[in-house]
Amino acid sequence: MPYGRLMAVLHASGRVLHADLQGDAIRAASGSMVAYTGQIEFVHAGVGGGEGLKAALKRKATGESVSLMQCRGTGRVYLAQNAADVTVVDLTADTLVVESDALLAVSPGLRLDVRFAGLRGATSGQGLATTTVAGDGQVAILSDGPLIGLSVSPGSPVTVDPDAYVASTGQTTPTLVSGVSWRSLVGGGSGEPFSLRFDGTGLVLIQPAER
Amino acid sequence: MDSYDAGSLPSDDNVNAYSFCLDLTHDWFLKRGAMIAYYGDARFDPLSALSSASAFVAARFSSPVYAQEWVVVSGAGKVVVADRGHDVNSFDLDAGNLTVRAGNLLAFDTSLELKQSIVPGFLTLLGTGTFIASSNGPVIFVEPPFRADPEALLGWADCPSPSQHFDAAWMAASITGMLTGVFGRASGEERQYDFTGSGTVLLQSSEQTRDDPALLRVLTEQTQVLSPTQAAELAGILQARAARA
Repeated sequence: MPYGRLMAVLHASGRVLHADLQGDAIRAASGSMVAYTGQIEFVHAGVGGGEGLKAALKRKATGESVSLMQCRGTGRVYLAQNAADVTVVDLTADTLVVESDALLAVSPGLRLDVRFAGLRGATSGQGLATTTVAGDGQVAILSDGPLIGLSVSPGSPVTVDPDAYVASTGQTTPTLVSGVSWRSLVGGGSGEPFSLRFDGTGLVLIQPAER
Repeated sequence: MDSYDAGSLPSDDNVNAYSFCLDLTHDWFLKRGAMIAYYGDARFDPLSALSSASAFVAARFSSPVYAQEWVVVSGAGKVVVADRGHDVNSFDLDAGNLTVRAGNLLAFDTSLELKQSIVPGFLTLLGTGTFIASSNGPVIFVEPPFRADPEALLGWADCPSPSQHFDAAWMAASITGMLTGVFGRASGEERQYDFTGSGTVLLQSSEQTRDDPALLRVLTEQTQVLSPTQAAELAGILQARAARA
């Protein structure tokens, strides 16, 4: 980016995100502002995944949507949601795939998109990470308990409980695993009958709780 | 945020305060649903699949009502366990005995022996080895004599099973009220667990417990001591309670 990249700085402080704005704008989950100092304007910024008919259709198809607001001005905005832990992930020409409801804020210059993961029908509650954030900048993620990053490399895949899965970066491919061995882990009926195996190169972020 | 790979994940130690990493250098008993991630070639087998093949499991896991909640994890790799974002701690037993609330026990060494406690909803571990348990808030250790709130009680080690203690004023009121009128007007604090002898009592700093699906089976089993007439009477009481709810 030729100018102004990372002028807005996101900084996690426990369960609150500090966003320091210097005349630029970040996008944050609607209703997540708890306080601000300085001169900040809050404008509804539509839903994540871009504008236009195609994006709207994709959102309808995937059921994924995240209502965003734009915070523009100079000062500091404090953002939080349901006392969830906040983690800031720095992206450098990288892609982050995240559950929409775990997305708190994105710095300027990042592209938000809705990606059809093709797995949704097979899982119970979670809309498996169909929001992607790409480019250079910072993303603030919400989690129940501090996030744990598990790296994935060729020959060393990681398998996670879909209910603990929050986000992933890099080039990772999730595969639904429903082996007999796995199924024995699942409680009588109400549990998640699948696990998610991630292959490739990247980082899988999980929370120490099942949603 | 801390990041790990299969090599750098701690071996049989906490990843953070809310999760623990089991190293599959030996087998573990693991509660269903406790696993949140794993690396490597881990196998999760229900106890039913093993008990015929390996008599040792049947000898180690002496609680039929809880058997379906548990699996044996074996193979190679590392397994991360967690419980709803609650605190997770490991405890080492050295030729000892410890009784813990079944809902809070997440995993234990197959070198330990498990038995069902006389107190409904609790499990007793015997022998030498490590177990992993969760608590809502940090664990508090207390020495008897001590009276604990049943919901805050996490477990106890080395001392005899608790007896129930009822608040004296509440007792007096129940006797004068011939019990009938007073039942249902409980504050929830008049019933306590009373610990005596020497040992350690473990408490969590919250009264929030997890629903234990096996508890109903434990209590059902205990009603075997009732005569058919008494059982019918109990059925009537429970029906009346369900109708009120």
